[in-house]
Amino acid sequence: MNLNISALEYVQQVKNGDITVEDFISKTLERISKVDEKLHAFLDVNSEAQDNAREIDKKIKTGEKTGKCFGMPISIKDNICIKNSKTTCGSKMLEDFVSPYDATVIKKLKEQDAIFIGKTNLDEFAMGITSEFSAFGPSRNPWNAEYVPGGSSGGSAVSVSALECVASLGSDTGGSVRNPASFCSTVGYKPTYGLISRYGLISYANSIEQIGPITRTVKDLAFMLNLITGIDPHDNTTIHNPEEDYLSGIDNGIKGKKIGIIKEMMGEGIDSTVRSATEDAASKLESLGAECQEISLDMVKYSVAAYYTITATEAGSNLARYDNIRYGYDFSLEGYEFNSYISKARAKFGPEVTRRMILGGFVPSAGHAGKYFQKALKVKSKLTREVKEAFQKFDYLIGPTVPVLPFKIGEKIDDPIALFLIDINTVTANLTGIPAISVPYAMSKGLPIGVQLMADSGKDKSLLQAAYALEGEVKLPEMKI
Amino acid sequence: MVTEEEIEQVTKLMKIDVHDHKEYVDKVHAMIDYFDILDKAGADEEEIISQELSIPELRNDEHIPHDEKLIEKLKNYKGQYVRAPKMV
Repeated sequence: MNLNISALEYVQQVKNGDITVEDFISKTLERISKVDEKLHAFLDVNSEAQDNAREIDKKIKTGEKTGKCFGMPISIKDNICIKNSKTTCGSKMLEDFVSPYDATVIKKLKEQDAIFIGKTNLDEFAMGITSEFSAFGPSRNPWNAEYVPGGSSGGSAVSVSALECVASLGSDTGGSVRNPASFCSTVGYKPTYGLISRYGLISYANSIEQIGPITRTVKDLAFMLNLITGIDPHDNTTIHNPEEDYLSGIDNGIKGKKIGIIKEMMGEGIDSTVRSATEDAASKLESLGAECQEISLDMVKYSVAAYYTITATEAGSNLARYDNIRYGYDFSLEGYEFNSYISKARAKFGPEVTRRMILGGFVPSAGHAGKYFQKALKVKSKLTREVKEAFQKFDYLIGPTVPVLPFKIGEKIDDPIALFLIDINTVTANLTGIPAISVPYAMSKGLPIGVQLMADSGKDKSLLQAAYALEGEVKLPEMKI
Repeated sequence: MVTEEEIEQVTKLMKIDVHDHKEYVDKVHAMIDYFDILDKAGADEEEIISQELSIPELRNDEHIPHDEKLIEKLKNYKGQYVRAPKMV
């Protein structure tokens, strides 16, 4: 059985009776047990997956109405809640936490007969871009296991790339879906802010984070968006999206569209192979009838500092709830005074989360807020204005997803600024709320390179059309089984 | 310039038990130094954009019954009360 198929191919093959859900799930679980000891994409594998598969096969056989996923194995980043399943956030703080409810995206996928094959590894509380900050050990890049897979949704991208599932859900606060998608040669999407409900996503930086799918193809991504987008009364930041069909018209092409190549994402600090891959992608889009032109977004230079200031502040507030009294890990209450108990319990946070909480306490504090937090919000506003102006001239913006190739595990872990700067091309979409997609485009030294396309807020459907056009110009090596 | 004392004070306020404050000083200091780049952005006159929602746009403040007793999910509870360490 071929596990290297798209979500749409999977659905078609099950509908045609070419494969059964049980067989596919069984092979997928075999694949996980074969490769995951090395790659560590999963923190937990669903022990009921085969039972779920048999139930869906029975529904298909008896002609009962079956959901659009037809038992498709989907992995879920371990900061998205599935009822009665552990949700650790890659942290020792939550190592025993079992969610009492489903996230809205999970509820929607359950209604469509998806099978959650397992929960995937991440940087602790999604704070990181390499997956090395998981309290349960790093995930590894399936293209070369000595290299990082990106992060923080590293486990999700690895699981899709290494054929351990068909699609995955991650979360993107500053590039956490697009970065690992680029490093692992998968498609990764950060939707317009509010397009997908955040209810049940464990909060890190609410004002900018979004759940986003990771898939093998752009069409699969459109298929996933059709299932999980829409207004949600549990999340007041969701936006109205009246039955948008992201698959219809996906092959409309990009003839006559204008594309801005972001100057600040192509300059200092960019790997030469990444730059030439992005230039080549722009040329391909031109050959399809688009018109490309350079554009300068001056605030991009300051976006990383603004992003980390804002996210650290929100994280400091969000993580205040982890006192180990209402949920957490096994640590007796006896013999402690209230405050000393909480401080002691919170010592379980890992070093990166601790650093960001210290930052989150410092930058908005009296005497420092004007210098850091207020300025960061002003940069965010100015960047949003620059981006809005850019979209008056252009339909799309393009740049590399990540300015560098994947690097070795441990290579940059002690250099926080080097890690910050890897986010420089992705945080713009988060700070401004616009949609952005990473499309696998090239390989260099056996390692993947992704190209990022962005569109104006609410233009998700149009963005997928451009991404689909670009994807059609790419021929990349397949993952070896 | 962030001092070790300032970090100690922040960790105390954030209720984080950090054994060796010095271990964090260098990295937090490097991060905060990097944030100084914000001074050069020339955005001081910019108006901060915020998303506003009026009260009618918010969901009703209604009790939604849960199908299980959530308190039973906790490790430490007695009757209807969450058990917490003593306040002295």
